Amino acid sequence: MHATIQKPMKDILATLKPGEKVFVFGCGNCAMKCHSGGPEETERMVERLRKQEVDVTGSACSPDGASLCKLSLAKEMVEEHRAEVDAADSFLVLACGQGFHTVVDATDGGLVHPGCDTVFGGETVRPDLINEYCSLCGECIAETTGGLCPLTLCAKGLLNGPCGGSKDGKCEADTNRDCGWVLIYERLKALGRLENLEAYAEPKNFAKWSRLRSLDVGPMEATFHSLAGSHTVSQED
Amino acid sequence: MSRLRKALETGGFPVTSEIGPPKGTRVDHVLEEASKLKDKVAAVNVTDLQSAVMRVGSLVMCIRLKEMGVEPVLQVTCRDRNRISLQSELLSADVMGVENVLCLTGDHIVLGDHQEARPVFDLDSVQLLKAVEILNGGHDLAGHELEGAPNLFAGAVTTPEFEPMDLQLLKMKKKIDAGAKFFQTQAVYDTEKFKAFMDRVSGWNVPVMAGLVLLKSPGMAKFMNKNVAGVFVPDNLIEEIKKTPKADRKKKAAEIAARIIREVRPYCQGIHLMPLEWDEVVPDIIEQAELQ
Repeated sequence: MHATIQKPMKDILATLKPGEKVFVFGCGNCAMKCHSGGPEETERMVERLRKQEVDVTGSACSPDGASLCKLSLAKEMVEEHRAEVDAADSFLVLACGQGFHTVVDATDGGLVHPGCDTVFGGETVRPDLINEYCSLCGECIAETTGGLCPLTLCAKGLLNGPCGGSKDGKCEADTNRDCGWVLIYERLKALGRLENLEAYAEPKNFAKWSRLRSLDVGPMEATFHSLAGSHTVSQED
Repeated sequence: MSRLRKALETGGFPVTSEIGPPKGTRVDHVLEEASKLKDKVAAVNVTDLQSAVMRVGSLVMCIRLKEMGVEPVLQVTCRDRNRISLQSELLSADVMGVENVLCLTGDHIVLGDHQEARPVFDLDSVQLLKAVEILNGGHDLAGHELEGAPNLFAGAVTTPEFEPMDLQLLKMKKKIDAGAKFFQTQAVYDTEKFKAFMDRVSGWNVPVMAGLVLLKSPGMAKFMNKNVAGVFVPDNLIEEIKKTPKADRKKKAAEIAARIIREVRPYCQGIHLMPLEWDEVVPDIIEQAELQ
């Protein structure tokens, strides 16, 4: 799930020129969970903009549980609101960067204002708390660390941790946070797999994490393209 | 062969000291103070942008120390440079006759004075040690052959008071397997804990130099407790310094350091002093601790 937080209103207003007509898009999936761009927030944003005398032509939010970042869905939403979309000079998107770009595509290169900052990939631990557990690095190693990703839970992203700055089980960079490597150690100890920590972890292949990347998908086979090359995985065995 | 290496390999119980380069180009004072220790210590460490504060680089200061007849220990961290740049730095060190290298992770960016900078950590300290070993063997990390291999003497850091201890030991063993030939520890203040630690590691037969940070003032000790990674000064020592009049603080710092050294000496293979600019106290410590 892509966690998002709205940009402050003054920053959003600063991107709008006088007289600019705006259509607002929201997302009924991740942004709804984050209360940054679900149906309520989208409607509220329309009211808030109109209160600031912004000409809002209309709004649309993807259905509950459906992601804005699916181009075919975004295109349907555009069609359903064709008149309002055509009347708009620009589109304010209350969703993650993926949703934002889908609107660029769905409006054939329309002028899109990001209404949110996309902060991380997260787990909805509770309705009021989203924690980051994955850094979308392209090569998962959590198998060796009991399911806890060191790139995400260690402030330095160490693969052979911990560092010497960990104190009382807390992280040197943020003493309110647990040291990721102490968490990994405790988890592996509980699982009876501490020997995993004895093996030397090789340096990460950053070519799988750095841009540029893409994914071809099919029902039985997928290919991940990155600067490390292309690799195909089949489910036929 | 480096003087430090020889001393450690022959059980010579060497003492090393440490300097931190300044934030700016006026380096003479720091070098002057270090050069006074020329015949008193086996080598002097130069920190690598310690505390993530931008300053003059370690290698340049190491070269200047060598020119003054002081043997340097180049500290290299993983915070600011990727594997290409790190390997390059190691080759450059060898080209300039710097043999001793201490491989560290590096303090996090947020502890320093450029908090918006991007942390690198392309390698961690274990991988950096491995890189030294691979370079020494005539190849680079990507497997290419070198036109001339370095001959670096690699060390690492360990924290005797780390909790959980087992996790620290797991990492220390990994560092040894990756090529660490000696260790300098984070500051030691509790002899019992240090002894217990050394009991666990002495079987690995890699020399350990006990680290000591000079206690300059109660404020500084408390600051370190709060902000400096891996250091913990116990209350009784803070009290002892607090009770000492300011005019006598340098003497007291030397006395405390010498006392700790005498206590830990039977359990380790050398001493690493971190005088934090009180370099002039070092000869006094060496004398009081009977280390010459």
